Amino acid sequence: MEVSVIRSSSQAKSSKTELGCRDLRFCFGKSNDKNKIFSRKANSVCFDSQISRFRKAGLRFTLKAVHSDPILESKSPATSKSLDRLRLFVGLPLDAVSDGNSVNHARAIGAGLKALKLLGVEGVELPVWWGVVENEMGKYDWSGYLAVAEMVQKAGLKLHVSLCFHASSQPRIPLPKWVTKIGESQSSIFFADRSGQHYQQCLSLAVDDLAVLDGKTPVQVYQGFCESFKSTFSPFMGSTITGISMGLGPDGELRYPSHHKPAKSGTITGVGEFQCYDTNMLNLLKQYAEANGNPLWGLGGPHDAPTYDQAPNLNSFFKDHGGSWESPYGDFFLSWYSSELVSHGNRLLSLASSIFGDTEVNVYGKVPLMHSWYKTRAHPSELTAGFYNTASRNGYEAVAEMFARNSCKIILPGMDLSDEHQPHDALSSPESLLAQIRTTCNKHRVEVAGQNLASGAPGGLEQIKKNMLGENPIDLFTYQRMGAHFFSPEHFPSFTEFVRSLSQPELHPDDLPSDEAEATESVQTSSDPNIHLQTA
Amino acid sequence: MATLAIGSLLQNPRLSSPRGPKLLLNLKPLRSLDLGCSPHRKLLCFSDACSSNSNPCGKFHVVKASSTDTAPIDSFSSADVLYEQTFPVNRIEKIEVPAETDITGIDTLVFDMITSGDNHFVESRNGAIPKLDPPDSTLLCELCWILEFPQPQSIVQAWSTIPENHCHQTLDTQASLASQMLLLQASDSSDARYSHQLRRFPTASPQPPFAVTLKHHRGHHKDRKSSDSFDATSNPRQEEGREKKKNREKREISAISLCDFITVFPLQAMLKKKNKEKINVVEGKLLIRLDQSKDQLNWRLTIGCSLSGKWILHWGVSYVGDTGSEWDQPPKDMWPHGSIPIKDYAIETPFKKPSKDDTFHEVKIDFNPSSAIEAIHFILKDEETGASYQHKGRDFRVSLVNYLEDDGNMIQAKSSFGKCPDAVEQLPNMVLKAEASCDSKNENRRLEGFYEEQPIVKEVSVGNMVSVAIRKFPDAANIDLHLETDIPGDVVVHWGVCRDDAKTWEIPAVPYPPETTVFRNKALRTLLQPTGNGSRALFTLDEKLDGFLFVLKLDDNSWVNFQGNDFYIPLSSARSFTGQSDSESEETSGKAHTDGIINEIRNLVSGLNSEKSLQTKVKEAKESILNEIEKLAAEAYSIFRSSTPSYPEEDSDADDAEPTINISSGTGSGFEILCQGFNWESNKSGRWYMELKEKASEISSLGFTVIWLPPPTESVSPEGYMPKDLYNLNSRYGTIDELKDLVKSLHGVGLKVLGDVVLNHRCAHYQNQNGVWNIFGGRLNWDDRAVVGDDPHFQGRGNKSSGDNFHAAPNIDHSQDFVRKDLIEWLCWLREEIGYDGWRLDFVRGFWGGYVKDYLDASEPYFAVGEYWDSLSYTYGEMDHNQDAHRQRIVDWINATNGTAGAFDVTTKGILHSALERREYWRLSDQKGKPPGVVGWWPSRAVTFIENHDTGSTQGHWRFPGGKEMQGYAYILTHPGTPAVFYDHIVSHHRSEIGALISLRNRNKIHCRSIVEIVKAERDVYAATIDDRVAMKIGPGYYEPPSGPHRWSLALEGYDYKVWEASS
Repeated sequence: MEVSVIRSSSQAKSSKTELGCRDLRFCFGKSNDKNKIFSRKANSVCFDSQISRFRKAGLRFTLKAVHSDPILESKSPATSKSLDRLRLFVGLPLDAVSDGNSVNHARAIGAGLKALKLLGVEGVELPVWWGVVENEMGKYDWSGYLAVAEMVQKAGLKLHVSLCFHASSQPRIPLPKWVTKIGESQSSIFFADRSGQHYQQCLSLAVDDLAVLDGKTPVQVYQGFCESFKSTFSPFMGSTITGISMGLGPDGELRYPSHHKPAKSGTITGVGEFQCYDTNMLNLLKQYAEANGNPLWGLGGPHDAPTYDQAPNLNSFFKDHGGSWESPYGDFFLSWYSSELVSHGNRLLSLASSIFGDTEVNVYGKVPLMHSWYKTRAHPSELTAGFYNTASRNGYEAVAEMFARNSCKIILPGMDLSDEHQPHDALSSPESLLAQIRTTCNKHRVEVAGQNLASGAPGGLEQIKKNMLGENPIDLFTYQRMGAHFFSPEHFPSFTEFVRSLSQPELHPDDLPSDEAEATESVQTSSDPNIHLQTA
Repeated sequence: MATLAIGSLLQNPRLSSPRGPKLLLNLKPLRSLDLGCSPHRKLLCFSDACSSNSNPCGKFHVVKASSTDTAPIDSFSSADVLYEQTFPVNRIEKIEVPAETDITGIDTLVFDMITSGDNHFVESRNGAIPKLDPPDSTLLCELCWILEFPQPQSIVQAWSTIPENHCHQTLDTQASLASQMLLLQASDSSDARYSHQLRRFPTASPQPPFAVTLKHHRGHHKDRKSSDSFDATSNPRQEEGREKKKNREKREISAISLCDFITVFPLQAMLKKKNKEKINVVEGKLLIRLDQSKDQLNWRLTIGCSLSGKWILHWGVSYVGDTGSEWDQPPKDMWPHGSIPIKDYAIETPFKKPSKDDTFHEVKIDFNPSSAIEAIHFILKDEETGASYQHKGRDFRVSLVNYLEDDGNMIQAKSSFGKCPDAVEQLPNMVLKAEASCDSKNENRRLEGFYEEQPIVKEVSVGNMVSVAIRKFPDAANIDLHLETDIPGDVVVHWGVCRDDAKTWEIPAVPYPPETTVFRNKALRTLLQPTGNGSRALFTLDEKLDGFLFVLKLDDNSWVNFQGNDFYIPLSSARSFTGQSDSESEETSGKAHTDGIINEIRNLVSGLNSEKSLQTKVKEAKESILNEIEKLAAEAYSIFRSSTPSYPEEDSDADDAEPTINISSGTGSGFEILCQGFNWESNKSGRWYMELKEKASEISSLGFTVIWLPPPTESVSPEGYMPKDLYNLNSRYGTIDELKDLVKSLHGVGLKVLGDVVLNHRCAHYQNQNGVWNIFGGRLNWDDRAVVGDDPHFQGRGNKSSGDNFHAAPNIDHSQDFVRKDLIEWLCWLREEIGYDGWRLDFVRGFWGGYVKDYLDASEPYFAVGEYWDSLSYTYGEMDHNQDAHRQRIVDWINATNGTAGAFDVTTKGILHSALERREYWRLSDQKGKPPGVVGWWPSRAVTFIENHDTGSTQGHWRFPGGKEMQGYAYILTHPGTPAVFYDHIVSHHRSEIGALISLRNRNKIHCRSIVEIVKAERDVYAATIDDRVAMKIGPGYYEPPSGPHRWSLALEGYDYKVWEASS
């Protein structure tokens, strides 16, 4: 049943773009039942292999129609758990390309790619920056990224592309100049906090559908970007490029920039701030309040929330008991705040899957792991970031549902974090939050891929291994990030060890000839009469 | 009582695990027999020879193998204890051989030990010893062999090697035969062999033992209870020896003549027959004759040996008035033709046959009795087996003057003679043979000629042999292959041929030898035809075939293969051999003794070992992939690191700006970390420069800033320290062009390059009118005025030396203006032409530091460091706490150079030795609470190190306490001074730990003048903070940095050391 529900929603989405395709789906709609019967008989292994056989025969459309839920699944049979294959990606340096047409430290990357390939890593993740490619509106310079893609292809690795519609501060990669210029005169395209300070690293989600960019809406601009990417990289699609992450906000993640002031080292992360104070957000809030019959609630955000680096109990909004978050106003505000984020995600992901839906790549979106204060009832960090997830409410339902609707997968960072290494007073629990999100995703049949937050977190590799090999394993993981530290003598040997320990038991025998050799050898030795003598 | 006597602790760090059991081995360095020169050299001699019956004047630690106890036992009553070592032995696991089995007939029991990170693997060539841990945790990098010899005077011997290092030495595989205890590993060594062993990695179930002990695998020892073998206090030796002697017989194999190609395989068959003979004892004579030559002026010492083999005389002299037991190199005019110098204290001369018919191999040494030479010392070496032959455990000594004290080991004295490593079994034998030639010659006050013979016993294992000879007749299209074996009984050859490297068996076309049947369409089986003492067959093969494969099936249905693989005879090599056969066969046929043949041919066998099977390829491929990954990662790291882009945003800790950098030749930038880019073996490959080039980025990525390259000049000794023509930079390390290329690559990855320049001495090209070598050739064609005047050996006409003399070569008189001018010109040329950035100055004890200042002022190096190495102060064998005098001498030298050069901090190394190996960590603080080495007095000029090519590597003259290297590095890499890391260590499993320490040093900007504050210096722990940013401790004792204003976080931790960083 779930299958058909999802199918219809995805139909609705793709029907926007492609009528022919829609017809086709209806044509094959009936065969779906047969397949379901079939799938009930056999387990998913059979089903997948069936699909992949179809795919090889070139019947991609058929597949889509037959079984829309695992469309993406079908595109990449390797992801199916039946193959029991862990796929490990490593992030390329953020500034692998920083000025459009040249690759930074290409030699190092080249050597690095070779090393990774030899190590058995599946592929690399490449951040593709809006600010690097689209220096003039509508004009794209992909040459640097094409060069990287070719290097990756040559190295025999897969490529996961992260489309970054945000800016980076370290290394510094700004938004496109023309966007920054517009922002100078029109700061309301950026998020603003209660004090009116703007966050200029990405556009406010409130302007998604407003024609603020020289007569175009940001969604239209993103669309142009994605389409240009698709056509430019079409030779790589599905072969080298196997996945695309759609940038959804700050750091590419689906969230409000609620924590954009970097926490001082050694201090505990504060609760963050709501980011609903730019003109456009306030407009939306106002409309929403009026529509809900509470116009007075639409004049601004909560007045009793703490500021960025404060603890939850410093003001009354997030208090564990009797905090305003539990009041009707709190519910009103948080519902609106979070739903705006989900709608934003939906806009961009449906855009992405409509553009890339007919290729063989998977589309991903990144959901943050706002783990601090998770052990309080209010989960303030998640609330300010836009996830209405509290002790009494699963805020990830809506998110997962939205991903499922768009046939997109979720990338979850922070798989390297473990509770025991969190500051004691932070009341944080990355592991529980991760478990909650993953359970919710499972429920909605949204596949989750992993990522680490920072290489070098204490016990990080162990934790990752636990997540990848434990029960309910993650089969795709992107390790961040190649660079000096990554290859340093402190880090690389442990990474090597990590990779080998991951892949050793799972590798296909063809990939592990040495094991075979050992096996043969042991047979030989055991037939050697000397053995008895010496071990007896 | 106790069984395992170990002369010294294993010095190779790679073999000892930081945690877990200690592996205790003797490292036998390549030149371990270069004895007699210093306490350390002496020690090495014992480690090689202490199994001899006689009287080594050393103190050994005897370890009861059955427990974990260690107990020092003064096993030999001797006053001059030269070296002492205690070490823990844990978990020695015994594996007992069932009583009914008997491995007699096994030629070698070979076990491989591979250390990989913290994991150790033991494997046996015969397939039995299982691994300890998953085999593929990290890189396999280690290989070693151990031998143990029969109790009570057992010895463990080991070589260890790293793949790049080119293996060292041939181990007497026969020795393993003689041993009745465990052989962990034994093998002759070559790179090929190394990989060969790796392939034989069994996958049996995990087992703990590090040292595995096999007992009683000799059939005739069966009467003894196995549990007794370690503790037997009764003296079973004689009994045993008698028995053995009884069992011995001479065995001869008729020579095979007229062959193109001969291969003899030592067999590893498991023969069930008891008392099967496998030892061939060849008894011969050593003659020593001293007589006057015809001209009545010179005397001649003739040393001859009646045994066949490649004998080498390793000898030196001592002068009148010398004290101690050190040798000196004989003056050049005494050198017989073909001699090569061994360091500065000995030479080696091969034995020759005076004529073809002579059975004796001889060395003749002519000398003038009026010289000040007091005695000639020598030992014999058998180059084929690596065994050395000594006299009562000490040098042979032939007194040339009359007022010698009888210290018990002169030739004229009553003596017995033993082969050192495995002579124990022959003890009774030797006693029997001991010649009662004791007389009072040494009391005569005149030098007189004498002639005497010493019995010499050479033991050669024969085991059983399979000889394969290939003959190709010029006009025939076929190859004749003779297979012959001395295995008794019916022997069936199960054989096939192959046409490719994969060694796929195939059945060749007819004709087959008689008695051949086809076996299941896969192979042929031929019954060998009996001969007098064995059996043989003749196979006729098509010459187009690539190889001949076979295994043997014996009449008791056991199979004989070649170290786990099929025997493989490459036929293609036979093809290439054709044409040059005659001379070879002639020589072969001329040999009287079969063992001679066997030994010669053994070299060929080791070549065959390198034939790789498919499986090895896979294994090796896997390993090379790991190497490749590491190399690539290092390259990527070095680029990423150097090209870290600068971001416009300001760095938050900008106030932490680096101290202003003053470059001076004594210190470099002050932040230098030195890598010694070679070891004693690096010359062996002949392409070191190229090999090092491949590692350039790797070395840079570890965080080094300076690399020290080996001496580049043409040299009389392969290692380069006996330079001849200074402008000829083609050396055993590579050509001048390769050197330039290397320097360029090193510069490319940001490393400064130090040239190793030998300024103290120089070998001459020509002799003067007296026959003394003191006239130089080449571009710097100095005459004897360039040689110091106070070294009688070289009859220099220069001034008196301004420092200590180095006796092996003419010492250069730096007081001569023309000499200094030429040397300055040369150094500038090196700077310009090669691109060296600075110098490592060899043996600067030999001349005044003020001259060094001139050289450095003129050549303007970026960095320079001198080797001022002399002995620390000892009182009654124990190192003094106060080494101020020692470091004062080094500081004085630096002072003389006006601080233009740093000096290796030998004091610190010496103190670390005592502190670590004797748990005397209190030594690491001097009376004023400062570091006790040069680094405590003049840190910016102290180049701290724990090992170099002389002290460690295969020379091991003063090896850092084994297993404690990381403590040493934790000390020098956190402390002020300029640390230097030895090449062997960065290619060992310490590499990542060292890398981590280096990057910690760099990260915390510790430099040569950093302030160190010693917090604790107690019996078992030393702790210090450096620049208030780094805290460290070494030693097993407890220390944690206090929780004061700093928040310390543990940054690195290893075996008995910890390092913390302050986090603000």
